[in-house]
Amino acid sequence: MTNYIFRRTLQTLIVIGVLSYFCYYMMTLMPGDPVELMIQANPKITSEDITRLRSIYGLDQPIYARYGKWLGTIMNGDLGYSRTYRIPVTEMLGPRLINTFYLSMSALLLSLAIAVPLGVLAALNRGTKLDYGIGLFAFGGISTPSFWLGIVLILIFGVWLKVLPASGTYTVGLDESQMSYWNVFTDRFTYMILPMMTLAYLTIGNFLRFTRSSMLDSMGNDYIRTAKAKGLPWRRVVIFHGFRNALLPLITTITLSFSSVFSGATITETVFAYQGMGRLIYESIISNDFNVAMICVMITVTMVLILNLLADILYSFADPRITLK
Amino acid sequence: MTDMKPEHRTSTHLKDATPQQHSEATKKEIEKAERVQSMWSIVWSQFIDHRMAVAGLCVILTFVVIALAAPLISYWVGHHPDDQNAVNRYLKPGEISVLPSSQREDAFIRYSSENLAKAQEVHNALVTAGVLQPVEDQTDVLLELAQKNPEEILAQLNSLPKESVSGLIPVVKAFTRKHILGTDELGRDVLIRLVYGARVSIGVGFLVAFSAGLIGLLVGAIAGYYGGLIDSLMMRFTDSMLALPTLPILIVMSAISLEKTPILRTLIPPSQENIMKLVFVLVVYSWMQTALLVRSSILSLREREFVLAAKTMGATNFSIITRHLFPNVVAPLLVSVTIGVGSSIQFEAALSFLGLGIQQPTPSWGNMLFNAQDLITEAPHLAIVPGLLILILTISVNYLGDGLRDAIDPKSVRR
Repeated sequence: MTNYIFRRTLQTLIVIGVLSYFCYYMMTLMPGDPVELMIQANPKITSEDITRLRSIYGLDQPIYARYGKWLGTIMNGDLGYSRTYRIPVTEMLGPRLINTFYLSMSALLLSLAIAVPLGVLAALNRGTKLDYGIGLFAFGGISTPSFWLGIVLILIFGVWLKVLPASGTYTVGLDESQMSYWNVFTDRFTYMILPMMTLAYLTIGNFLRFTRSSMLDSMGNDYIRTAKAKGLPWRRVVIFHGFRNALLPLITTITLSFSSVFSGATITETVFAYQGMGRLIYESIISNDFNVAMICVMITVTMVLILNLLADILYSFADPRITLK
Repeated sequence: MTDMKPEHRTSTHLKDATPQQHSEATKKEIEKAERVQSMWSIVWSQFIDHRMAVAGLCVILTFVVIALAAPLISYWVGHHPDDQNAVNRYLKPGEISVLPSSQREDAFIRYSSENLAKAQEVHNALVTAGVLQPVEDQTDVLLELAQKNPEEILAQLNSLPKESVSGLIPVVKAFTRKHILGTDELGRDVLIRLVYGARVSIGVGFLVAFSAGLIGLLVGAIAGYYGGLIDSLMMRFTDSMLALPTLPILIVMSAISLEKTPILRTLIPPSQENIMKLVFVLVVYSWMQTALLVRSSILSLREREFVLAAKTMGATNFSIITRHLFPNVVAPLLVSVTIGVGSSIQFEAALSFLGLGIQQPTPSWGNMLFNAQDLITEAPHLAIVPGLLILILTISVNYLGDGLRDAIDPKSVRR
């Protein structure tokens, strides 16, 4: 077991390392490095200037040398400056991470609160109209393009009904230091409702189908028949014998979804102009903000990989039948 | 090859009836039921039981036919996907656009230069009818006529002798165009752009899914058949790829410029950079599920007797894999490719929506939404319709995949 955990951890670390080099390499392939931007901004620039600038920025060195240097500064805790906002990357990340955490966490909880009961209901009423209806709802969630759902929700609630703000993170111009905690919360919450609904509906489909199939598996077991045969009330059979065992496989899916809590949802956040991590990744790549893009992608990748590792380990602890070698 | 086909099935439920009771009709039924069914006919008969999957298949086929017939439709409705019309931006669905006067003049000039005699006739008729007075030469009257709005032009032309204006009337009729779904921010017809967008979206979806299926098949087959170090290396790589967050990596990869990329620069011509880069990026990212699936099938298949038989007859590894193992993984592969089509369409749309996929002016359902978002209050239909099509198509593909899986997987019980 410890051997397994050790090997998996090592593998995860290697993947993170390889991937950081890969991403670094990809970023150098993007159009618009700092010197190219200067050339665009200043048509009178001479070729000597260009060579000089390239050597100042270290762009004349091979990629692995630049990568090594970059890694060195990162390890020293210096994440560099954002080229667009002219502030240290560390200052930028804090609020974005918090925003994303609130959004993704609430979306995850909302989606579980809807998907798990519906999935159980569908499994218990297998083959009926209700089951097909719930199935259609789940399929809709899997197949709906997130950007489109976002736009439609903005149209309905923001443009036609005018009950919720169409996009943003909080009301611009409000001085939050003067407001009570409750007012700040309600203000931010109204901006969060639509992105939260979008994100939740997208994940409901998977959770729902997973719950349904795992509940079906669990209700087909012999111990359910035994429980019924010994005269337990139906509700007790479903909750304590069926659902409890169906929960096990759910753990993996839920743990995996946790990675989005920090990495954010790029498209949903972009559609709603919500200031989270996902939008930051997109913005920084579009605007050639190399330092920010690199850090954000690495945070996302690391979170996802670590949670994957955690899901594997958790699952083995939760299900005594599984032995890892 | 017949020895490897999954078990054939004969229905026996009708055999109990005594021969005397058989009428002609039941005899035929018995014959039909006793005939050995091939695997694919079993799959088909189970597939058509899944109503949603059949409906999905019909929807997909309709979309494909529309996409293939795009030039025909364009000819029929008289719109071209790139035709811009700056004075008729954001028309509502069903509204009629009118060509600007400069383009009306151009059309008249083109007509008169091609049919000089006819144009002269119209000119003379107009002058004799006293509608317009000539200033200098014969095109002038027509140019003046072009300044009026199309209905007036038509009314005046209709008052002239029929044979002289018969050539000109279709030209005038083309000045007004009906836009069933309105126009976009450049005055282009939305309907015809959606039709051409279907070509791109469906084309990219299928191309990506099939290429990814092929790569997945190769990786899965090699890993599964050879096992050992090759297997564990390939599978660790596949696992790592699967664990990556999809969208951030896709965004990073789509943002690269091909001019700076060493190998791709020579492989992909710049004229196709737009679409081929997107396909490449999506393929790199979508072969893993298929590879895992194929590997697990091959792992169990390679222990079967027919592989041993092939080996003892001296078959090479290559021919065992391609001739004996591949036909047996076709079924699960089909399911996985189908589901891959759905997700590829979604990713294409998502990247195009972010401005990183298909670029204007080529229409795709995703990039039609890219501009629509800013104009959501003026022209909501621009945002709703393309997304709705993506939704309908992906939901159909997903149902088709679900139905195929149910039909192919002997263990599946959902009836």
